[in-house]
Amino acid sequence: MMKKTLANTQEFLLKNGFYIVIALLVTYYSLAAPHFLTFRNFNGLFHAAAPLLVIAGGMALVVLTGKLDISLGSIAYLSCCMGVMMYQWYNASPIVCFFVIIATGAICGAINGFIVVVLRVNPLITTLGTLMAFRGVGLVISQSYEVGLPDQIRELGNAYFGPVFLDVVIGIVVLLALFLVQSRTVFGRHIMALGNNVENSARLGIQVNKITFFTFVSAGLIASLGGILSLVQNGRFTFFLGQGYEFTAVAAVVLGGISLFGGEGKIFPGVLVGVFTLELIRNGLNHVGANPYLYGFVNGGIIFLAMSIDALKTRSRGRIRVIEDEAELGKKIPERNKT
Amino acid sequence: MKLKTVLFVTLTIISLLLASCTPAAPAQTQAPAATDAAAAPAAVKKVRVGVSWDEKAIPLIQAWEDYMKAEAAKAGPANGLDFEFVINVANLDPTRQAANIEDLIQQKVDIIMARAKDGTAIGASIRAASDANIPFVVFDRKSLTEEQGTAYVGGDSYDQGKVTAEGLAKVLKEKNIVGKCIEVMGDLKDNNAVLRSKAFNDVAKATGQYSVLVQVPTEWNPELFKSGITNALQAHPEADCLFLASDFAWSSVQSALESQGRWAKKGEANHIITATCDLFPDALVAMKAGYIDVTTIWDAYMQAKELVKVLVAVAKGEDPGCGKDGCLAKGRTVTQDTLKDVPFIWADDYANWKP
Repeated sequence: MMKKTLANTQEFLLKNGFYIVIALLVTYYSLAAPHFLTFRNFNGLFHAAAPLLVIAGGMALVVLTGKLDISLGSIAYLSCCMGVMMYQWYNASPIVCFFVIIATGAICGAINGFIVVVLRVNPLITTLGTLMAFRGVGLVISQSYEVGLPDQIRELGNAYFGPVFLDVVIGIVVLLALFLVQSRTVFGRHIMALGNNVENSARLGIQVNKITFFTFVSAGLIASLGGILSLVQNGRFTFFLGQGYEFTAVAAVVLGGISLFGGEGKIFPGVLVGVFTLELIRNGLNHVGANPYLYGFVNGGIIFLAMSIDALKTRSRGRIRVIEDEAELGKKIPERNKT
Repeated sequence: MKLKTVLFVTLTIISLLLASCTPAAPAQTQAPAATDAAAAPAAVKKVRVGVSWDEKAIPLIQAWEDYMKAEAAKAGPANGLDFEFVINVANLDPTRQAANIEDLIQQKVDIIMARAKDGTAIGASIRAASDANIPFVVFDRKSLTEEQGTAYVGGDSYDQGKVTAEGLAKVLKEKNIVGKCIEVMGDLKDNNAVLRSKAFNDVAKATGQYSVLVQVPTEWNPELFKSGITNALQAHPEADCLFLASDFAWSSVQSALESQGRWAKKGEANHIITATCDLFPDALVAMKAGYIDVTTIWDAYMQAKELVKVLVAVAKGEDPGCGKDGCLAKGRTVTQDTLKDVPFIWADDYANWKP
């Protein structure tokens, strides 16, 4: 009885621990900073987080299959580079630039998928290489040049949809769409199956290679969308676009309850929670006027905590199952002894 | 399996071919401009200077390079020297910069000059150059290690922050306001950013004309400029002044101010009194339009002059005569009223620069 209570408490804490941490954070910041707990601030918070919402959504797709893509930030950079250069060199219209950006993102994702699936290179190694390669190609094409956006486009960066920023709505729509794919489509179910067990999935007739390939393509396409949001928000194409997003996206995905081992978690509200948490930390630190030298430490600490909780969750699930099995076994043994 | 092997090998070969054809980060050998070799004295000493830029995405770097070459073309012959510059660019990658500097050492240049991407990483390169008996001039960003090189040449960041802050204090005093300021810091690993912040806070204490409500770290990342300023204005709607350690990310600053309804010119309601450092092209346009109140130029021309003075001394084996903080060139402070009277503003000269 005690063991079961302990197991239940442990499971509850592991399952909901992060929500408890968020609640504590929000409470602290609200008490320490008078303007923190306002609609305006949270609107601004999600506005800043919108590009990460989208890119982390793409990352989640890959992570659910049990793989990793750390090139998404570079994909966002390269695809925006192509679109901006089309504008700069050929005076292409915004619509054409948009499709160029999306197509480039998909192509980059396809390159990743090809190397992982056909050449059978480890996804982490693959995307570590393409992280550098894609950004390098972008630098060669752009010559590291910065390009300001025309006013009509940069105004979209702060456009509203009702009371909220337009890019926040876009971010949430993208996450909801991905969640629907995950939960309501065959493709989504196959992604989850892959994450649970690749061998069993193959035995069940799931086309493992095809699903994996298209996951990477989708992630690349979604990353380019995130890049557009970042580009328009800042009103300028710079070398910094997408830098570091790959690691914050992974952190957001794990914080949102999606296991790095695959097959577990929900894109919505998981990614939303993860991204919100990361942006909440920085937003709150700005609000309370924290020592700037602490930002890295606090961010790193939270990310480390998230990864640890994920590992603990996976390990403890095995232990709880053992305890339950023992309880079942205990019931059966007396019956067997009787016979 | 065979097909996969063939595909892999083919892709590798194609990648290598592409890499060899694709222009890498520029590693140009440039002859000094406007030097008439026939008129140079017979005892002219050729001096090869290896230049390691951390990036070339901003026109400031090009301005430095052009001013440096022009100044070297004048000062060189006058001192019996013929400068040749070997340029490479690290594209903001400290590892790449280390490799580039190693290349310069292997090429046995006479002097190495570098603008560090990372003030701690550059130490190893300085040591390597010292081991090869090549003088190393650190430019703009100081080494944060024990290795300081032969000389440091740069702008006087502390002075720049100080005079900008004093200019801000003067503007506030004229308006009879004790300002409540948001301080937007740079990369905490960049000595220039640290010194500007120190100066800003020192002037706050010395004059009492403003207080610092919040310090926003940005790692010199434009996205953090936007989110940081947005958050700071949310937290402190009463803020009436803004200090930027650099205005290179002015577009993101504008975006943040627009989102908070604080994008207003001097004299308009909601105007936030803005003091910046550097005066990049976007910021110059904004200052002319009335959005920025005071700035101190990062004086590319004076710094380039100082750099060539040091290169001449080092090439001749003489002491450059730098102070304990290095050979520092001060910037010029401008306001909206004085802007039109100030010559050699690099942001104006390079307003339409493209790489």
